[in-house]
Amino acid sequence: MAYRSDDDYDYLFKVVLIGDSGVGKSNLLSRFTRNEFSLESKSTIGVEFATRSINVDGKTIKAQIWDTAGQERYRAITSAYYRGAVGALLVYDITRHVTFENVERWLKELKDHTDSNIVVMLVGNKSDLRHLRAVSADDSQAFAEREGLYFMETSALESTNVENAFKQILTQIYRVVSKKALDIGEDPAAVPSQGQTINVNSNDVTATKKVGCCSA
Amino acid sequence: MRGAEADSDAEKKQTYITEFEPGPVPPLKPVDKYGFLKSDQSTTVPAEVSSKCKPRNEREREEKRLRKWRKMIGVGGADWKHYARRKPSVVKRRIRKGIPDCLRGLVWQLISGSRDLLLMHQGVYEQLVLYETSSSELDIIRDISRTFPSHVFFQQRHGPGQRSLYNVLKAYSVYDRAVGYVQGMGFLAGLLLLYMSEEDAFWLLVALLKGAVHAPMEGLYLVGLPLVQQYLHQLDRLVKEQLPKLGTHFEEEMINPSMYASQWFITVFSYSFPFPLALRIWDVFLFEGVKIVFKVGLALLKYCHDDLVKLPFEKLVHALRNFPEDALCPDTLLPMAFSIKVSKRLEELTFEYEQMNNPSQESSTSLKTIRLRGLPKLC
Ligand SMILES: Nc1nc2c(ncn2[C@@H]2O[C@H](COP(=O)(O)OP(=O)(O)OP(=O)(O)O)[C@@H](O)[C@H]2O)c(=O)[nH]1
Ligand SMILES: [Mg+2]
Repeated sequence: MAYRSDDDYDYLFKVVLIGDSGVGKSNLLSRFTRNEFSLESKSTIGVEFATRSINVDGKTIKAQIWDTAGQERYRAITSAYYRGAVGALLVYDITRHVTFENVERWLKELKDHTDSNIVVMLVGNKSDLRHLRAVSADDSQAFAEREGLYFMETSALESTNVENAFKQILTQIYRVVSKKALDIGEDPAAVPSQGQTINVNSNDVTATKKVGCCSA
Repeated sequence: MRGAEADSDAEKKQTYITEFEPGPVPPLKPVDKYGFLKSDQSTTVPAEVSSKCKPRNEREREEKRLRKWRKMIGVGGADWKHYARRKPSVVKRRIRKGIPDCLRGLVWQLISGSRDLLLMHQGVYEQLVLYETSSSELDIIRDISRTFPSHVFFQQRHGPGQRSLYNVLKAYSVYDRAVGYVQGMGFLAGLLLLYMSEEDAFWLLVALLKGAVHAPMEGLYLVGLPLVQQYLHQLDRLVKEQLPKLGTHFEEEMINPSMYASQWFITVFSYSFPFPLALRIWDVFLFEGVKIVFKVGLALLKYCHDDLVKLPFEKLVHALRNFPEDALCPDTLLPMAFSIKVSKRLEELTFEYEQMNNPSQESSTSLKTIRLRGLPKLC
């Protein structure tokens, strides 16, 4: 895996990792950004943060990923971090059915705190624990289709689909952003400067865009 | 794969409770003087740093210090109250220098008021552990192996460390159902269990959360985390006032204290700080209260000030969660923390915060009047 320099990007997308405690959000993040996994990772207190850049259609997309504590009580602090997110990975644990049942509540959280056009991917993590599976992939797929979510099963432990899941959501966000920009006749390369949040359409996903030196 | 299965096992709390067979004893690995695995960077201080902080004739001094302490507290703590009343400033000074490790467990119980609680409520803990059930049991079990995972005492699956941790947290979640169990409490309980018995640790937790001596901490864990919000607001203000250049930089980079300081308050620096530092902070925290958390926080920012003001957003967030080793040396950081004055301003900011949040209410709910709600008055 070639990691590009952090400051060299065309688009910056903010993505949040949400889902019940213990489903593996922090490990998905560490696998994606540092290629690390830990069986005995500490529970997240509040929020954590990491970044990584990937390439989509010749553009460098930098993901700024916020990992939140899963326990319900923590939503008092974590929900503030949903603001401005253009993507969300909603994670459940395929061996614990209750974490799948709670997906609807998480979707409601997102609806209450984010823009309606946020790209959401449902992620069934711990796919390596085949013998303990409690949620079938078909059920999740059907649910995801009904709710208009992308869906993927992953294993942070075996490193299965982690890369794919993040790539897919970032690609989709990129498509939404570049399409919206075209729709309103704006050159995507002409949007404002780094750090500035742009509303491409009235109630649209927001993205941050860097101009100048590094635009392809 | 052991940990992964533990996680799923955890689903079945019955299994956990009835199958008390401890897991295999982990192989002996080198640990530091506090029992943390040596490779764990996050909790130990490298030898060069710790020796740099300590003088050469350290051993002798330690022994002299220990004798003074023994004299001060008396056998089993018998003389403590008398001494503390007569010479509060001596006590404060000695505690700030660090409680001798072999007396820590006892002294913590004396200064936190938990010893009194225990004596007044004999048998209560056992009742809570043995006969009550809590809706938080599964949550607690899931976090047991995720609390101080690198400490030998907590490593063995279903071993004595993990079981005591479970018992204390479960007992607390029954004792105080409004708080129940919140992630982060495990680090408090875990830290205490390294220095005292389950029952003692439980009552110290009660003393802290219900406010036996200082303002109650339960608001850190209640629904809405109201006290976390208040403390973060106060910290934000203090940073702006005491470190204006950094405050402005934070504002420009849109850094919010919840990005780095939530765990300072929620776990009182026990989540990710080097253990020797956490202990020294806890010594002072138990005696002087939460203001030491603000002081240490501000001292850290002050120490790293010149680096921090140069960093852009992402690097800044990273730096605020990964302070350099030299900043985390207790004998450097703590004197700096003690020199920062916050008490008066904190009080004003508390008042201001209360006004802001419920302007209708009279702010007479001073910390003192609500403390010890639901608890018998201590002498
Ligand atoms: N077998 C298996 N275990 C996993 C996988 N991902 C995470 N785990 C384990 O599940 C437990 C919880 O993982 P975390 O990443 O800390 O979970 P989290 O969602 O961040 O939890 P909170 O921070 O409490 O919200 C840890 O013991 C991990 O080792 C996976 O893909 N397979
Ligand atoms: Mg986590």
